[in-house]
Amino acid sequence: MLDARRRSGNAHLVLARDFLATVAKMDRAEAPSISARRFGQLIGRSWPFIRPMLWHLVAFMAINAVTALFIVGLWAVASDLLMNKVLVGEPLQPVQAFVLGVDDAYVTTEAEDEPLMAAEQRKLVRDRLLIWYGIAGLVFLGGLATLPYYEAWIRHNFNQNLRVAMIERAEHLSLKYHSHARVGDAVFRVYQDSAMIVNLLQEALVAPLTTTFWMALALGTLFVLTPEIALACIAVGVPVVWLTAKYTPRIRRRARDNRMANSDLTSRLQESFAAIKVVKANRAESRILRRFDADSHRALNAAFYLRLEIALLSAMVMTLAGGIAVGAEYVLAGWAIGDRETYLGAAMAAWIGFTVWNLGAFNYARDQIEEGLGNANWLIRIWCKAQDLFIGLERAFFLLDLEPDIVDGDDPQAFPAPLHSVACRDVHFSYELPDAAPLPVLRGVDLVARAGTITAIVGATGSGKSTLMSMILRLYDPERGSVAFNNTDIRDLAVDDVRANTAIALQKNVLFAGTVADNVGYAADGKTLADVEAAAKVACAHEFISEMDKGYKTELGERGGKLSTGQRQRLSIARAVVRDTPILILDEPTASLDAATENRLLKNLGEWGRDKVVFLITHRLSTIKNADRIAFLEDGRIAELGDHDELMARPNGRYRSFVEAETIGLQAAG
Amino acid sequence: MSETALSPEPAESKREARARHLRYDDRIDLDTKVTSREAAVLIGRSLKLLAQARGLFAAKVLLSFGFMAPSILLPWIGKIVTDNVLLQRPFGDTDVPYPPFMDPILALLDGMAPMEIMLTVAVILVLLLLVFGTRGGSFEEFGLFEGADAATQGENQISAGSSGAAGLWGIVEYMVNVRLTQRLANTLRTRLFGRLTRLPMTTLDDQRIGDSIYRVLYDTPQVPSVCYELLLTPVLALIWGAVNLYLIQYTYSNVAPELVWIAWSAFPLALIITFPASALVRRTNQAKRAAGAATTNAMEETMDNVYAVQSLGGMRRDAERFAERSRESFLRERFALAVGIALLVVVFALMIVAAIYITRLVTDQIIDGEMSPGDFFVLFGLLWGILETATGIGSFWIRLQGPVAAVRRVFFFMDYPVDEDRVHGPQLDAIERGVEFEDVDFSYPDGRQALAGVNLELKVGELIAVVGPTGSGKTSLAYLIPAFLQATAGRVLIDGRDVTEIDLDSLRSQISYVFQEHVLLSASIRDNLLLAKPDASEEDIQRALEGAACMDFIRELPDGVDTVLGQSGDTLSVGQQQRLCIARGLIRDTRILILDEPTAALDPKTENELVQALQAGAKDRLVVVIAHRLSTIRHADRIVFLEDGRVRDVGDHESLMATPGGAYRRFVALQSG
Repeated sequence: MLDARRRSGNAHLVLARDFLATVAKMDRAEAPSISARRFGQLIGRSWPFIRPMLWHLVAFMAINAVTALFIVGLWAVASDLLMNKVLVGEPLQPVQAFVLGVDDAYVTTEAEDEPLMAAEQRKLVRDRLLIWYGIAGLVFLGGLATLPYYEAWIRHNFNQNLRVAMIERAEHLSLKYHSHARVGDAVFRVYQDSAMIVNLLQEALVAPLTTTFWMALALGTLFVLTPEIALACIAVGVPVVWLTAKYTPRIRRRARDNRMANSDLTSRLQESFAAIKVVKANRAESRILRRFDADSHRALNAAFYLRLEIALLSAMVMTLAGGIAVGAEYVLAGWAIGDRETYLGAAMAAWIGFTVWNLGAFNYARDQIEEGLGNANWLIRIWCKAQDLFIGLERAFFLLDLEPDIVDGDDPQAFPAPLHSVACRDVHFSYELPDAAPLPVLRGVDLVARAGTITAIVGATGSGKSTLMSMILRLYDPERGSVAFNNTDIRDLAVDDVRANTAIALQKNVLFAGTVADNVGYAADGKTLADVEAAAKVACAHEFISEMDKGYKTELGERGGKLSTGQRQRLSIARAVVRDTPILILDEPTASLDAATENRLLKNLGEWGRDKVVFLITHRLSTIKNADRIAFLEDGRIAELGDHDELMARPNGRYRSFVEAETIGLQAAG
Repeated sequence: MSETALSPEPAESKREARARHLRYDDRIDLDTKVTSREAAVLIGRSLKLLAQARGLFAAKVLLSFGFMAPSILLPWIGKIVTDNVLLQRPFGDTDVPYPPFMDPILALLDGMAPMEIMLTVAVILVLLLLVFGTRGGSFEEFGLFEGADAATQGENQISAGSSGAAGLWGIVEYMVNVRLTQRLANTLRTRLFGRLTRLPMTTLDDQRIGDSIYRVLYDTPQVPSVCYELLLTPVLALIWGAVNLYLIQYTYSNVAPELVWIAWSAFPLALIITFPASALVRRTNQAKRAAGAATTNAMEETMDNVYAVQSLGGMRRDAERFAERSRESFLRERFALAVGIALLVVVFALMIVAAIYITRLVTDQIIDGEMSPGDFFVLFGLLWGILETATGIGSFWIRLQGPVAAVRRVFFFMDYPVDEDRVHGPQLDAIERGVEFEDVDFSYPDGRQALAGVNLELKVGELIAVVGPTGSGKTSLAYLIPAFLQATAGRVLIDGRDVTEIDLDSLRSQISYVFQEHVLLSASIRDNLLLAKPDASEEDIQRALEGAACMDFIRELPDGVDTVLGQSGDTLSVGQQQRLCIARGLIRDTRILILDEPTAALDPKTENELVQALQAGAKDRLVVVIAHRLSTIRHADRIVFLEDGRVRDVGDHESLMATPGGAYRRFVALQSG
């Protein structure tokens, strides 16, 4: 804020100051280097996303190329006709007369002192020429009406392919990646960085080639007319290349900083909105606004300095090119006054009247010089922009190239059916922390749960209960030990199979945008509304859903707003139940339920889950009591295992003291 | 919202509109139609932003204006090169006079041989090149590569700039222009961000994060273009057109008076042809942005909930949903593009016809000897300048419509009523007595009633437990105290003053609220606490963490309170996250503390510690705890039992248990049974 106010004070001073600061900072940070090989690799990586649209791309470029060649050829003839013939009145070349449909009286005799055409003749030539102009205009309009749409369609398809691949990859990356990555960063990569692929073939590969082609064509044409000036134009390339080489690392650095700053801004924005309730409760609105403003300025400055670098280089190149053009004009004027012959004019005399340096030839050569140098200039600009493009693609492919560390084995086995048991053997696991030693959570868990039983996992907060369940879903792989279904190691099964056979009601009740029915049926394909209703009944959710105006068709807001936590919890449970899988995990299913609902729910679940392996993570004594077996987790190990009565019977038992804490709490209050 | 508002429109079309926007997940911003009149208002509001960047805007106008000098000079220099150098004619060969600003140059060239003239011209051109970069190129449409949809073009647009010049002048003008664009867009996006964070709680439930990101980052960059289209472009174009007009009038009026009128007739013609399409342009642009926002939303939701997506096995389904949204968004982009192309074709056709006609008129004069061949270039250049200007101004309205669709999306939330609109109410002194509810009703905007006839008095020094079945209105009741919600009938009073009339800062700075959802930033533990109290001392932090029983697990973390939490705190268990959220509620040490189910995810031992800490803290403050667990509830001084939005029982545990047939007693019996 303060920064903004200071800035608005004196724009010019600030501009100058910022500029000096930039120059000072320029050489400090290391520039990302992109070798030619890396360029090639990036194009190779992009290939699968471009491949499906290849023929459309080729067709589009072919149409463009044909049109362009046509225009170049016609432009020379048209400028000769308009200037030398219509404006000055020189007679026509034979082919010109044929195309315009006029007789031999209009054709040049090549005599030294040939008279000019009469006024009526010139007007007729003019009118015929204008008819051709009109036809060319119609063709132009036709192209204008269709080609941009075609091009957009091709580009959209490239981008769609890459985006979808990225989101799929991001979804499959293990939670190890996601716990360190920011949501906004993924959004920026999938959106902004991936968008660069639409420009890859067209702008980074084809455009430089076609621009080089046009440049060569213009300089070649010029060479035919006057090799001296053509060579002078080529010589200017030496300082241009030197300047570009000098500037490229700076531009890359700026491009990377720009993308990082904008990615940070997106993350900050996403996080602010995700935490909006806490922000409001703490009156932190103006504080996060200031932070956003600062981030926003940082991102805008990064964009500004990137453009400044490119503008400085471009301005130098443009000035050099302009200087050559003016110099060449001076020389050409001298030749025109001296009626000096052009090098190739005589050979083309049947087509075009550029035998000597006249008004038409002067203007045509001038156009070629400008065209050649303009293309060179354009090439430099593409180069600068391509630096940003490749930095963007690097970031996109960084995400795409991350290998999920949870992958299927070579030959995954079928999921064992019927399922008899789920076994954890000596499972070890620690969380990786950024810039710190890993945090051990599980240190050798041994646990066997059989079908038809309810196992309660009990323990202090942070003792690793949820982590243990993540192992069964294979969200993480254990560092040591194994998880097995019917003695088949989980790593020998397909990941999708494991998750398709395990249903979980999460402790954090995540609901997705969509209707109630969508949310309950979220992970269960091919379930009917009747299935959804049945599951909702088991989860004690049917009642409150039916009371809503649109019942199962009610739209839920972001993060399932408008429902109370207890209602959301029951929807989560219904979502797990509807899938009817052999393994069911309920993570704190009753934490936000009142006692009446809890009782009904547990009774329903007991009946429903008769042939299933059910895990219950809970703190509530009333819920724990429903379990067949209780596994008490402490210090990353199963400290005690047995049913409630057994464990309560152990003097000084861990579970017993855990339960007593609750009872003592009650007594203390009483 | 639309249901409650009375509308003259037939119900059918309203439903259709609703269905259309539900496809883009919109729940708040439903009526997206903009009339031409409303568009004009939106444009006017965008222009007001220029006040934020007066200096830069003035600089940009002056720089653009200054560049006209070389642009005016060049065609006449071209005429000299053609007539007096290449064709070697003497000056004053035809009746066409040079404009007065050429007099010094003509005086300089007078009596020179053709090559001397050329040398002088070349020197002038080099000078122009160094200063203005003329003949070298320009900074027009100078930007980076951009994507093929509005969102990815936003990054480029927010730093857009251009200059007709190159050289020193061009760099300065371009960079000033970039800063100007950034200033305008940044002013708006910062304000929009501020408004969005201040939306009422009920609205926030419906507002999608992806949509907010889209509006703040990708809709706001359209605003500068509205300013330019309306002020910069037409003003410069008008001046440029007037200069050219004057030149033609001065030099060629006697030879071709009708040319000027032909060129200028392009202005009304372009306006008349494009105006009827303006609603279509707005609609297609609105749809493409809504579809883009839906794509952003699909992506944000998937990434933010990746734990749930993976454990529920929803990866393929979510990827398909994203793919579908993204495809739809690209399709809408192309629809908007197609409309733009169609209009461009019409305007270009007009210009081609004009060009052919003008060529015919001018060449007639040259062939008849009334003008020299050099005049063709001058005249054609001038006329083309006017023609471009005229069609440019004529189509200004249509070009504004695309940005207007984005600007509408921005101003929609700028105008949305937020609770901050009464931020300047009277200050609330330090709370001494407590909170009173007087006949309070609350209904959600969709008509659902959450609370009815609540009368309560909560005093400082009490620990109050709010108890009741799920969905009975406990959270709504608690939300009324810090005015997250506002009673639809009755009053909520703090120390006898209506909360809806108190300055929000002074109200919420005295109330700490710990939510049911454990929202943590992916920052360090310390930063998470500092969010609530930026000036907290080390002791404050320690005290809060100990009060919420966090120290035992924080001690085990490698960096202690400076440990950086993963995405939404995922490195911690849910119980640990809950305790951190409670610590964040304690650190402000406010007179009123509200905890929504603080112990749900805690083990009994931790719960005991926490409840005892709360009990001790309740001596000089009001602590409101929403809870299900008997062990938590029993510590309360008074228990408020809610059912179906009504207060059924109030009293301490013993007295309520002593009431035979009481609602609370039944509730307890179930839990212990």
